[in-house]
Amino acid sequence: MGGIKATRVSRRNVLELGASALGLGLVDLLRLRALGSGSSRARANKSLIVFWTNGGLSQQDTYDMKPDAPPEFRGSYRPIATTVPGIQITERFPRQARVMKQLSIVRSVHHENGIHAPSAHWMQTGYFGPTLARNAPQKPSFGSVIGRVRGASEGLIPPYVAIPQAEAFGYQGAVYLGAAYNPFELGANPNAMDFRVPNLALPRELRLSSVRSRTQLLREFDALQREADHASVNDDLNSFKSQALEMVTGEKVRNAFDISKEDPRLRDRYGRHQYGQSAILARRLIESGSTCVTINTGYWDHHDDIDKGLETQLSPLDAAIGALVEDLEDRGMLDDVVIYCAGEFGRTPLINGNAGRDHWANCFSVLLGGGGLKGGMVVGASEYRGGKVRERPVSPGDLLATIYQALGIPLDTHFEDATGRPVSIVAGGKTIHELV
Amino acid sequence: MNIKNAVAAFVVILVMGSCALAQPNQSQQVFFNTDVVPILTKLGCNGGGCHGKATGQNGFRLSLFGYEPDLDYEAIVQEARGRRIFAAAPSRSMLLLKASGILAHGGGKRVEPGSEDWLTLSRWIEDGARPALSMDPVLTRVSVSPDRRTFDVEARRQPLQITAHFSNGATRDVTRQAVYQSNDPELAEISDAGIVQVKNRSGLFTVMVRYADQISVFQGTAPHTKVTNAHAASLVAWEKANGRSFVDRHVAGRWKQLGILPSLPADDGAMIRRLSLDICGTLPTATEVNEYLADAQTDKRARLIDRLLDRPEYASYFSLKWADILRNRGRGYSTSQQRPGTALFAGWIRDSIAANVPYDRFVTEILTAVGSQETNPPAVWYRTVRTTSDYVESIAQAFLGIRIQCAQCHHHPAERWSQADYYQLAAVFARVGRRGGFSDAEVPTSETIYLAEEGVVVHPRTGQTMQPRAPGGPEFKLGRYDDPRRSLARWMTSPENPYVARTMANRMWGHFLGRGVIHPIDDARSTNPPSNPELLDALARDFVDHKFDVKHLIRTICNSSTYALSSRSNESNQDDLQSFARYYPRRLSAEVLLDAMSQVLQTPTKFRSVSGDFPPGTRAIELPDEAVPSNFLDVFGRPLRNSACECERVDSPALGQTLALVSSPEIQEKLVADKGLAARLATNMKSDAENVREIFMAVLARSPRPREQIVALSFLESQKDRKDAYASLLWSLVATNEFLLNH
Repeated sequence: MGGIKATRVSRRNVLELGASALGLGLVDLLRLRALGSGSSRARANKSLIVFWTNGGLSQQDTYDMKPDAPPEFRGSYRPIATTVPGIQITERFPRQARVMKQLSIVRSVHHENGIHAPSAHWMQTGYFGPTLARNAPQKPSFGSVIGRVRGASEGLIPPYVAIPQAEAFGYQGAVYLGAAYNPFELGANPNAMDFRVPNLALPRELRLSSVRSRTQLLREFDALQREADHASVNDDLNSFKSQALEMVTGEKVRNAFDISKEDPRLRDRYGRHQYGQSAILARRLIESGSTCVTINTGYWDHHDDIDKGLETQLSPLDAAIGALVEDLEDRGMLDDVVIYCAGEFGRTPLINGNAGRDHWANCFSVLLGGGGLKGGMVVGASEYRGGKVRERPVSPGDLLATIYQALGIPLDTHFEDATGRPVSIVAGGKTIHELV
Repeated sequence: MNIKNAVAAFVVILVMGSCALAQPNQSQQVFFNTDVVPILTKLGCNGGGCHGKATGQNGFRLSLFGYEPDLDYEAIVQEARGRRIFAAAPSRSMLLLKASGILAHGGGKRVEPGSEDWLTLSRWIEDGARPALSMDPVLTRVSVSPDRRTFDVEARRQPLQITAHFSNGATRDVTRQAVYQSNDPELAEISDAGIVQVKNRSGLFTVMVRYADQISVFQGTAPHTKVTNAHAASLVAWEKANGRSFVDRHVAGRWKQLGILPSLPADDGAMIRRLSLDICGTLPTATEVNEYLADAQTDKRARLIDRLLDRPEYASYFSLKWADILRNRGRGYSTSQQRPGTALFAGWIRDSIAANVPYDRFVTEILTAVGSQETNPPAVWYRTVRTTSDYVESIAQAFLGIRIQCAQCHHHPAERWSQADYYQLAAVFARVGRRGGFSDAEVPTSETIYLAEEGVVVHPRTGQTMQPRAPGGPEFKLGRYDDPRRSLARWMTSPENPYVARTMANRMWGHFLGRGVIHPIDDARSTNPPSNPELLDALARDFVDHKFDVKHLIRTICNSSTYALSSRSNESNQDDLQSFARYYPRRLSAEVLLDAMSQVLQTPTKFRSVSGDFPPGTRAIELPDEAVPSNFLDVFGRPLRNSACECERVDSPALGQTLALVSSPEIQEKLVADKGLAARLATNMKSDAENVREIFMAVLARSPRPREQIVALSFLESQKDRKDAYASLLWSLVATNEFLLNH
């Protein structure tokens, strides 16, 4: 059934028609729960989809264009108008331009560090990080924090998923929150012809029927054994075992990851490329109960010939974000899902001798929308050539605070690190009040 | 109100009344450091979530928990153009208006106008907001009365009385101004008024009491049941039967206080499995199990322990542990030129353990290493450990068993460690010089470590140059050419050192019993006392008396009856995790589990590294570093060697692990390998029944129970493909909790 693709359906329609009548593929537990209860409950069920621009996306070529600056600053692209009067973005982002009313741009993010690793740590955790890429993460990523606070909305679906795998120089992990809150890494490209999730797929020579009979046997042995009873570790093991077995042998989780169940025309709208198919998978996972799905895009570290790199990457990113906004809106889910597009920093306003742009953290842009955040806004501004914040500086902690607040996570939440020290999840950041 | 409640209420009134009387009266001077600051602490003003955090709150910044009263004075009296206090009309001071919520205050209403705290603050302002002066009495300590108590089923409540002692000999009741914290709120709560209330659980707990810059501790014991004569008698009998070792006597002493009875002794099969896993990180083979079961000598456990300690697996397994603690990393040294350091250090650790080098020498050689990292292996420790905080925190956690990180930025809130302690320890390493090394390395390597001519550490706040000193130890007397690290090593390894032997004893106890006497093992504090101080003292003393002989320490622990208790709990000890009245089961660690699977499935794991394949048959516990690629080891919690804390190794179960068990190709390959056990069983001439028996011996170190035998045999019969059937049977056994756990 493909009732969703042409017609826009309001919340009310969904209620009247029922989710399955719309061919949503999966029972939308998340949203049904949200609809069935009061608004405070809806708030607590919100989720997050991240487009992480690994390596650093050029703000000047995308969300913060400087058409009046000299050529060596403004770059090759022209701005286009969006559905919001006064907001212009790159001509390579027509899909986002169409849904600009639902999205907001923060143009004054800054943290002043120009090295990938510590910057990625800063943007992922709110805290300045190690200065060597090889160094250990010190604080948990926001995805892990969200996973820890909220858990999965639905038991078997991993709360925090990274597509295709964790990036950000190793700083998308849980650190002292515990290994259970590391992202579940997809380990595959959702746009691949033979896409399957390695961790959920069985080795080639192992049949599902064998797994089922093994599993049955295991249950019998576990039940017969008397060793190590009464141990809490035993209870944990048992609960993880039944979850894992269910994930591998059951339909529910397979189904959540199975984007072949999506309408092909909807998949086309997202774009038949890695970013697009990752985005539709992210939406599917959110519907099944994940609370944070991070799509790692990139690599955006265009020191040389930036146009060549952007030319292949911008349009897919635009299609993925644009289609996601429309799709969520069609399903009446946009208010329940925060969309965030950011990387560790932006790029230098001045184009370098190799026709590229270098690292720039003194002023760059991120995209935020959905989840009840205000759309159609621009927060902050850069100076004439984009090099510095002109007004309304925003810190990495401010961004995290805004996301947490949208998700209903109390901003005074603290977790103890390995030494027992309570560490704030917002690192002193304050909500961007213009957006909430 | 029933009578009991009425009495309780009366006691409260009495306690509160006595506090009020002990407050400074109108004629007494209000001191900033010892009257004003403690009130700010009690009200929560200087907490880490409010004005105490490094950035302050709305422009008003206090030192965390009031450990820097001079800064606080400045913030209150001088900053904000003096608007925070108003001597002419104290009640109109912003300090009081905000704290009492009369003016809008993000932190809400913290104090009632007219209350005692309010009056004290107000009087201090009225008297001219006098700063602390050098002749003011100094708070020397606080005491708790009572400082310990054993509760029972009826008596579950205890008001505490806190007394502040001053340098001029004066004392004062500060029960109401002190701050309290229970280390186990599920076991015992403490109210703001200092009343301990034990809940419906049993165990040991502490309450930390803080007043100004001093802390003190109340220790509570909440027995499982009222200790009866019968109970005491049965423990006397146990002690008589088992108490040859001081270990068992001290442990039994704790059971007596807690009303806990030990589990039964573990059977022989469980013991050989446990000992092999704990000493060698290796499962016993079916043959070893059979021989042990057949051994009728009474000293067979002691002989087994000796045999295990002589095996190369002992050295491999414990060098894995020490390579974690000493952070011998492979990551960051990815070119073949850089790798030798890692392998060299790994080999040296292993050789030291195999040779049973006394622990004091082991520590000294690492600490005082000089020379090239290409020729002197312990100098490689200085490759990963290279900053001020690395030095201080590694030494503190690995050898002293204390966590001193807090004191890098502020006074430790639950210990006596100050910033001065932190930077004086750092100063010991100020003259560690580095020369040479690969410039292209991601992390420098192949350096030469030497004693530099110059090098100082300054206190970040006072700017003072710090003299090298051990935490809680003396300042070192050093000549121009003396390496302060040698003085530190001498202090650490002297028989009187309060930390090093104790920490090692605790570490080894934690290794074998599943939990330290101090837990976590590297977090010794007065506010986190040992669950059995007599036991820990005795173990440490015995270790020192035997010249830091690590194998002796292991024998002492492993030959005890306490170590040999079953993991099956009884009614009295099922919730207990402090008194070692049963063996606490735990999941096999990543490397041990992988090796165990390789062993029982008779297919070694192939390990590869950037510089080539490891020799066939290399075991996971023998790998030199954490960077040898293995998805299985990563999923099962192999640590990245990022810190000296053993807590980095995660042995708790996680979903990803069970997913890997079910569907990992690594395990499936072992199950279906051509020369693996399943293939062999499918084609050997033995009956299914014989094969099932052999499988159970190899996998679980015991014979199948009748019901298990029936389940296994009927499964084999139901399957068409014999090799598949055996593969499935083997999988379902290595996935049982009994296999995954050391129990």
